[in-house]
Amino acid sequence: MTAPVLPARYRVAGRQEETHDTVTLDLWPVDQPIPAYQPGQFTMLYAPGIGEVPVSISGTGPDAGLVQTVRAVGAVTRALCAAGPGRLLGVRGPYGTGWDVASAADGDLLIVAGGIGLAPLRGALLSALGHRDRYRRIVVLIGARSPTELVFARELDQWRCSGAEAEVTVDQPSAGWTGHVGVVTQLLPRAGVDPARTTALVCGPEVMMRLTARQLLPLGVPARRIRVSLERNMRCGVAECGHCQLGPLLLCRDGPVVSYEVAAPLLAIREL
Amino acid sequence: MTAPGASQDAPSPGAGAAELGGHAFLRGMPERYVAVLARACRPTQVPEGYRFFAEGDPANLLWLIRSGHVALDLHPPGRRLIVETLGKGDLLGLSWLVPPYEWQFGATAVQDTILFELDAALVRAACDADPGLGYELLRRVMSAASSRLQAARIRMLDLYAASSSVRDEA
Repeated sequence: MTAPVLPARYRVAGRQEETHDTVTLDLWPVDQPIPAYQPGQFTMLYAPGIGEVPVSISGTGPDAGLVQTVRAVGAVTRALCAAGPGRLLGVRGPYGTGWDVASAADGDLLIVAGGIGLAPLRGALLSALGHRDRYRRIVVLIGARSPTELVFARELDQWRCSGAEAEVTVDQPSAGWTGHVGVVTQLLPRAGVDPARTTALVCGPEVMMRLTARQLLPLGVPARRIRVSLERNMRCGVAECGHCQLGPLLLCRDGPVVSYEVAAPLLAIREL
Repeated sequence: MTAPGASQDAPSPGAGAAELGGHAFLRGMPERYVAVLARACRPTQVPEGYRFFAEGDPANLLWLIRSGHVALDLHPPGRRLIVETLGKGDLLGLSWLVPPYEWQFGATAVQDTILFELDAALVRAACDADPGLGYELLRRVMSAASSRLQAARIRMLDLYAASSSVRDEA
């Protein structure tokens, strides 16, 4: 089904500050909601009178609501982050490809997130935890710049209680931090996943995704079962405008989630 | 040679060699070399907060972590900076192999930790006596050092800062 290009009206029902520059919004549809989403897909989120940006979907709320996490990096995202309860926003989508979490069933699911890369993975994780018995191990490795810049920190214990093995590492520990210190790839060998039965979902800065994949490949995880989420300048969301082209892909349609088999040569291209 | 506070199992060279050879750091090493290392090795476990060594101490021991995790730190005046944490499968200690055999950082157990503890002087002597063992061990130490160097470089890049490619404009 083609997602509509006209935005649906959604009202901000809740606003949670994740970090100093990142906010999670609970959005409720005012009229007809957008079609059901697959974890990994994104919407075009419109701040009326200011502009529209692609934002990954982090989950669903009650009554066809959406959970979307936005980092303030420009005029539109600053306006979205400032949107308080009651504010109307426009939502188009959902667009793009999903993580296809179900294909990891009967094996180990490895989720590797860097920074705000956890936002598009949260939906995949919740989906897997909702069907916990379908997976062997669910391992979640999270890297953040510092403890205060960890998104969804409040949910970690809940994920662990639901059957996920979640580990967090930070680049810059604060006083009193007793967790891991280092880059997230350093947690991979310690996780002890069974490579032959592992599906890895990876999202974060591209360098981090590349390093993660390059560490998983020699362990024996095949490239087709390593999935990464690529971010480019999505504008139309329906593969018409070409702004998000990466090699042969239009990422709003062919991505954002692609296998590393497809992504590896594209991540090596030096772009203009 | 064990520092106070650590508890040790009775050494049993045969079983120790099999267990030692199963450690991720030594995986794939020929059994004859593992047997030599096992003679310099004791299983040990330490409680949370145990101080393995401080910056400037002589590097007389090295450890292979079996479970738990350990923080490497520096102590500028009035502060403690955690440089990195190590965990299951990791080598704890690089300075035992390089003169002047002094620790460059401190190390503290962040939680109860189980390790293999090896006598650095015995290991160095065994490597000198058999360059084949020395090469096998050096390859592994080099791999660990290379991974840590790469991780340090990546952290210097501050990857989680907002990149210009995702900056939006109205």
